[in-house]
Amino acid sequence: MEHFIQMIGRNMFAIFGAMALGGAAFMVASRTAVHSVLGFLFAMLCIAGCFLSLEAEFLGMAQILVYAGGIVVLFLFVVMLVEMSKKKEKEVFQLQSRYAIVAVLLGAAAFLGVFRKVLFGAASPEALVLRPELAQGLNVASQNAQAVSRGLFADYLLPFEILSVILLVALVGAVVLAKTERV
Amino acid sequence: MPTPTLTQSIVITLIQCLLVVIFVFVVVPLTVFAERKVLGYLQQRLGSTRIASGHVGLSGYLNKSMWKWGRIPVISYWRGIPGLLADVLKLILKEDVIPAKADKFVFFIAPALSMVAAVVVFAAVSFVPGVFFTFPKWFPYLGGLPVSGGIADINVGLLWILGVASVGVYGIVLAGWASNSKYPLLGGLRSAAQMVSYEVPLAISLLAPVVLSGSLNFGEMAARMATGLPFWGLVPQILGFLIYLTCGFAETNRLPFDMPEAENELVAGFHTEYSGMKFGFFYLAEYINMTVVAALASGFFLGGPWLLPFGLQGLVNPFLPAFLSWFGEPHAIFFVAKIIFLLFTYIWVRGTIPRYRYDQVMSVAWKYLIPMALFNLLVAAAVRCFAV
Repeated sequence: MEHFIQMIGRNMFAIFGAMALGGAAFMVASRTAVHSVLGFLFAMLCIAGCFLSLEAEFLGMAQILVYAGGIVVLFLFVVMLVEMSKKKEKEVFQLQSRYAIVAVLLGAAAFLGVFRKVLFGAASPEALVLRPELAQGLNVASQNAQAVSRGLFADYLLPFEILSVILLVALVGAVVLAKTERV
Repeated sequence: MPTPTLTQSIVITLIQCLLVVIFVFVVVPLTVFAERKVLGYLQQRLGSTRIASGHVGLSGYLNKSMWKWGRIPVISYWRGIPGLLADVLKLILKEDVIPAKADKFVFFIAPALSMVAAVVVFAAVSFVPGVFFTFPKWFPYLGGLPVSGGIADINVGLLWILGVASVGVYGIVLAGWASNSKYPLLGGLRSAAQMVSYEVPLAISLLAPVVLSGSLNFGEMAARMATGLPFWGLVPQILGFLIYLTCGFAETNRLPFDMPEAENELVAGFHTEYSGMKFGFFYLAEYINMTVVAALASGFFLGGPWLLPFGLQGLVNPFLPAFLSWFGEPHAIFFVAKIIFLLFTYIWVRGTIPRYRYDQVMSVAWKYLIPMALFNLLVAAAVRCFAV
């Protein structure tokens, strides 16, 4: 029993990863858009589980909070209100399948190119730490909220703020686009 | 103290889960009953009295004579309790109707989703700091092992609570969509917009305790907010508590914010098409969510397992005489008492304040609560910067 549980504990990442892949496959395969969103939600929750099994608690929770709680809700809104009859839906899917195959192949090639070294190369001897002197006195495994916040607000404050300006630009753009109809 | 093996710790965790489920399933029916009775007395009537043991025996005699003296009989506080059993039986035995044009899979999964999201929040809530109780030596397999006061006292407990609570929106939205009917869809959309809006001031008002205590762990936050603050720590807590409570009412879709179930506009909102135990799950989830909001409020603002609210415990503790020392120590009983008081507050508010109009609900969230919560966060940061 003990041995069996330890084995499950060691392979938690693989289990959650397989479940996430299953959710993603369900999302692609299902013909109803709302079912697709549910599959996407399941995949997102499983990815949060993957982060947890790697002891990245903060990232796992941020995954649930931002993706499952925020972004997928917006998807659901859009999908729920766009009503497509069964026949129309099928036509759209069939039209897209040719381009979809090309896009998937391109994406797989790019992915493989980026991760070639990770997948086939030798493992690096030590973990990558960008500015080790900032992480001193901080147990990253048990305090990763503190570690992430130190990275964001001390080490990379300027890039972080610039990223938020980009979000602001998108927000203002959305307001401008929505306003033009009324003028 | 012996350290448990992996299997033993899993068994202990399962026992903790069982304890939490028992706690929830004791508190929820009693809240339902209390809602009927308290609401009744607030409106100068008796509440549910029909199902009871009858007008026989000593209680029946007392009841009759108290009516004769012109007083509301004490017994009538408890009359109607067997009605709870009848309610549960009705929910379980009622025919489960699924509309012909409904999306079967989503219709089935929506109540489960909202129920699970409500219960799972308790994983990160710590009821008492340290050890809750220790198994006696003679206990098979688990003898001498400690059971801690929370299931998983994780480092980022607050984020877990907020994240899972935000997943709870799906249950309502999907229920509204899957019913394939007008009123449920409108109710689902309304409640999703309302819950997503009120999550913002809720999260900001909870940031004040995070700033003051410097932690995201539920147990640590409760301990520092209760005992580790100077006098000025009171100010951001009281305003934050009121903002949090308002947002909590909106998040659980209770009056005065019960837009999704506004009977005179939307029949019964998102669960119009549901019946039987599927409806029962939504009903349970609403009351469990109330318990969750009450637990968080009492943990972060009312001092958690310590007796005094708003960080007063830490100010009083040095002046306690020796024979009152238990007064300064944490007990799970205090925590549960605060939860029950806040549940009473829910019913109290329901009986006092009428329902808002829908646009008023939204403007309260975006125009008043968010600026107030941001101001409160500023005050908390100032206290943290200059006083702690």
